[in-house]
Amino acid sequence: MTSIAAGKANIAKPHARKPERRHRPYGGYLSALWIYAGAFYTFLYGPLLMIVLLSFNDSEIVGFPFQGFTVRWYEVVFESPALLKALGNSLGVGFLAAAIATTLALSLAMGFRHQFRGKPIVLYLILVPIIIPGIIGGIVLLIFFGFSGIRSSLWTTVLVAHVNWVLPFAFLTLFPRLHGFDRALEEAAMDLGAKPWEIFTRIVFPIIRPGVIATALFSFSLSFDEFIRTIFVSGFDRTIPVQFWGLIVDELAPELPAMAVLIIVISIFSSLIGFYFMRRASKSAPT
Amino acid sequence: MTAVTPDRVPATTSRRKKVKDGGIKPIGKPFWLLGPGVLWLLIFGLAPLAFMLMMSFWTSTIYGTRPDFSFDNYARVLVTELYRDQLFKTLRIAIMTTAITVVISYPVAYLLSRLQGMQKAFFVLLMFLPFWTSYVIRAFVWLPILGRNGAINNALQALGIIDQPIDWLLFNEGAVFLGLVYVYTLFMTLPIYLSLEKIDPALVEAATDLGARPAAVFRRVILPLSWPGVLSGCIMVFLLSISAFVTPQLLGGPSGIMYGNVIASQFLANNNWAFGSALSISLVTIVLVLLLISSRWIGVQHVFTGGRNS
Repeated sequence: MTSIAAGKANIAKPHARKPERRHRPYGGYLSALWIYAGAFYTFLYGPLLMIVLLSFNDSEIVGFPFQGFTVRWYEVVFESPALLKALGNSLGVGFLAAAIATTLALSLAMGFRHQFRGKPIVLYLILVPIIIPGIIGGIVLLIFFGFSGIRSSLWTTVLVAHVNWVLPFAFLTLFPRLHGFDRALEEAAMDLGAKPWEIFTRIVFPIIRPGVIATALFSFSLSFDEFIRTIFVSGFDRTIPVQFWGLIVDELAPELPAMAVLIIVISIFSSLIGFYFMRRASKSAPT
Repeated sequence: MTAVTPDRVPATTSRRKKVKDGGIKPIGKPFWLLGPGVLWLLIFGLAPLAFMLMMSFWTSTIYGTRPDFSFDNYARVLVTELYRDQLFKTLRIAIMTTAITVVISYPVAYLLSRLQGMQKAFFVLLMFLPFWTSYVIRAFVWLPILGRNGAINNALQALGIIDQPIDWLLFNEGAVFLGLVYVYTLFMTLPIYLSLEKIDPALVEAATDLGARPAAVFRRVILPLSWPGVLSGCIMVFLLSISAFVTPQLLGGPSGIMYGNVIASQFLANNNWAFGSALSISLVTIVLVLLLISSRWIGVQHVFTGGRNS
């Protein structure tokens, strides 16, 4: 989780360095590396592909042998009110957390273009939610809200937990976008008499828009997958990962693989769109 | 920062506020731009943490948690053999996990950094895809592999190697290692890859031209220059492993539980919030000390951006 958002930002702009003469000091070892990489990718993908296979297994137990092809577990997932409720909760809190975190992060990143006293301290403050271990990020909110008399629910505690978690990544993704672009346009607009708000809405924001959209999508995906902070403050409102966890812990429910596949598809889909916008962002505003 | 050189723009306008690098002052007031985010983080980030620190000196009884000022909780954290052993075991697992991920990630990161164009884009993306899904799922997938009805038992039985399913594949420390490595490898691969990417190929060429053999080039040029990435990856994986909860809970069984599970049980089962706070603060302290020590080599913000710009 943690540096994934940063990672998403990073891979979007592969270094376009091409040596004139391709030098391969490891030419001889390269084939061995490829074989190793093959094993590595198998390690990464094998278990996930197996879950996809198991989601179609016509068997009451999560496991083998493969008893035949069925889509009934997907029907179970889509017909379960509890699961649909959890899905709705996750989508809702994901959209709202992404919107709040992206807005706050954009404002913070605009502020970080200035020189001001205590800049490193503010940066540490922004990083607090990712420095603190995830499990403690959930527990502190449990006791804090517990003693404040605020009941755990989706739109209070869970939303706060998710914004906390997503905000540092949103900032780390947005900040390079705002830090890197040519300020000549802004200066020109200012010379022509534009007000700061006009400069923001008509120049700055349009330039960084793909970056903002990408940040929002990554934020959504981080929130959608969040579990460890949510479990402590979810109360009766379960999100998808919390619901999933409940089904594992109670009894290894047979629809788990189908549900896992559904979650994987939603997360990867939103991340891929975010990745696409990030690439556009790095093209339109080269750093 | 892209500074606008004064000679490019006629310096006749009066509205423009100059700052010392010669560019214009960025729009907006820092106070109002930073205000909302800082306020959020103070209220929901820092204050709850401070409250937990305070509560770690309180006392929990069956009637609830009440304000107090006693070091009893911390004494219990340090003195009780159960918690001390659990802490050392967790540190051991985190260190081992970090070591394993370095070894298995480095070659792949190296290969990725050698690739070019579309091939590189494809394999880098392929590396990321699995990590864009919840770690709960990525830990869960090992249950139907290692379990009694799992893929391994099934394959071994089908091959006639075993008659009865074997039980010791799951719910032990080995399964926890496997799960943690699987869940957190990317946090090692990514920073190492990024630091290898930054190495100027001319340096490698120069070393080769000067007669260094591949092993020497690797040991004396590539390895030292990828150090920031390795360090960043190690910190990330260590921090994530030391606070693991999901993986040990699902795959570890009673013998494989870690500090995170001990902490969680104080809140989910025992309702001993004060003592749980003391355990939590201990873990936070370890994390902060580690970041403080490593800040000699790498800034905290660079740890979370994969060792870039360090």
